[in-house]
Amino acid sequence: MHRNKQLIIKFLTPALIMFVLVFIYPLLRTLVMSFFQVENITSSAGTWHFTGIENYRRLLSTKLFHSALINLFKIWFFGGVVVMTLALLFAVILNSGIKGKNFYRNMIYMPYTISAVAMASMWLQYVYNTKYGLLTTMFSKLGMEKLAAIAWTDPTHKFWAMFIAYCFGMVGYHMVIFSSGIEKIPSEYYDASLIDGCGAIKKFCHITWPLLRGVLKTNLTMWSITSVGFFVWAQMFTSELAETSTITPVVYLYIQIFGAANAVTDRNAGLGAAIGVVTGVLVILTFLLINAAVKDDDFEL
Amino acid sequence: MNKKSSIIRHARLWPGYLLLTLWVVFTVVLVGWIFCASLATTAEIFKGNATKFLSGLHFENYVRAWKTQNVSVFFANSLLYACVSTFLILVISMPAAYVLSRLKFRGNKLIQTSMATAMGVPLVMIILPLFGIVTRMGLLSTNLSTRLLLIFLNTGINIPYTIIFLLSFFSTISSSYEEAAIIDGCTREKAFWKIMIPLAQSGIITVSVFNFITVWNEYFMSLIFASGQEVRPVAVGLYSMINSMRYTGDWSGLFASVVLVFLPTFILYVLLSNRIIAGITQGGVKG
Repeated sequence: MHRNKQLIIKFLTPALIMFVLVFIYPLLRTLVMSFFQVENITSSAGTWHFTGIENYRRLLSTKLFHSALINLFKIWFFGGVVVMTLALLFAVILNSGIKGKNFYRNMIYMPYTISAVAMASMWLQYVYNTKYGLLTTMFSKLGMEKLAAIAWTDPTHKFWAMFIAYCFGMVGYHMVIFSSGIEKIPSEYYDASLIDGCGAIKKFCHITWPLLRGVLKTNLTMWSITSVGFFVWAQMFTSELAETSTITPVVYLYIQIFGAANAVTDRNAGLGAAIGVVTGVLVILTFLLINAAVKDDDFEL
Repeated sequence: MNKKSSIIRHARLWPGYLLLTLWVVFTVVLVGWIFCASLATTAEIFKGNATKFLSGLHFENYVRAWKTQNVSVFFANSLLYACVSTFLILVISMPAAYVLSRLKFRGNKLIQTSMATAMGVPLVMIILPLFGIVTRMGLLSTNLSTRLLLIFLNTGINIPYTIIFLLSFFSTISSSYEEAAIIDGCTREKAFWKIMIPLAQSGIITVSVFNFITVWNEYFMSLIFASGQEVRPVAVGLYSMINSMRYTGDWSGLFASVVLVFLPTFILYVLLSNRIIAGITQGGVKG
């Protein structure tokens, strides 16, 4: 076994070094930093001042950060409901015996492979454009002048405009995961239900849904992880980053540490670290919540 | 009788067909319109004639975007980052995934769990110290070191996912071929390169395509680390271009740039869509 030991060391070391450099060390440093007042992101640890939970206290008493958390919750919760419902519905339709299953599946997944910046440009410069955009043109052709006149990216509509564009791109990914889950359900179950004379809805409620819980859990976990990092879409939909309607925790951190000089009152990198820790805690909390809410112990696919 | 029942069955599926078709039509309109607009003039776009090509096809939009809008630079950067990172990720992840899937040793389970957990770590939890350290080391002062840094980071953050993916892919491959080779006097290391890698080719290609697309589209890290025009990848480059477009008003050039940015991953997807989709659920899940 001596030779194996050498091999293990040789084969694992590069990966472990990268892992420590890119994950472990930065993670620990962020955690420590969040309890310090740090003048500048580049300040060495010697100049940090320990302030306990002051950063967290400040963060949680900042109005703009409240908006960020509320927006994030809206994206995670409502977006989760919308995306999971559509993704599941599409996955069920794909597996209901339709022709051209692969074509539909590949087309619906496609937007997910396109850069978010490019996707957001398409929505902003085409769908929501008020001069020649899809919605404006469509509604005025249909004679719905009121709807045609809506400026989709003005402050009152902006959040939901962004929400719809974001969800549109995410449906395909979660649909593929649901679909592969449904494909793994033994067809005997459906054959048996056919003999018993079950309709499509009954079939879904008694077979598909209960057996998809594990897959649902995967989907919800992935959805939560992606949601927490919500940034590009908010940046694309706002010219002023510090906008209450679309700000999220990551946007807040970006303003705090890297940008928009006018919006930053004090440059405390410790505050940024605290935001990082808060997002990490949110991931853990949603993970625990999902595990408590969705039980998949009755059947293993 | 059978044919009739099949027609009835398909007829009963019409709401499903309708829904999926509507969704696909919208996607095609969305992407198709951008293609059309990239070949029209700005004046035509604003008159709502982007899809009519009244004055012919304007391929010069692409030339303009490529040359004057710096798309060629962003494109070359993304290509460099994506290719080199994808390669390095493989070279580092494949051996690690191999010993984790084939050999029993203390800490194996712990490493696997750590890798899986890392896939859920938000980027903002690691970005601040990384930025602080590399700035202090002066790594952002030259284009070369910034490029190397972006390759290093793109490689590092995608390793856990790749290891988890390959790990589950390797474990679906029977170990009997390697065992036979080892009995014949082949070392385990040689067995890995000569037997495992060729057998696992399809999984390796799939995960590489994923990594290529991920690095090509990477945005947040590049936004923070690549401050100069010359080192920006396409996503950040496009963002800066959109901002300057507000002043230049060259909308057809903008749409041409958008097309150029998503074209490589789009073509890759069109060519390999079945393999990519099978890969999403085959091993681990791509975040």
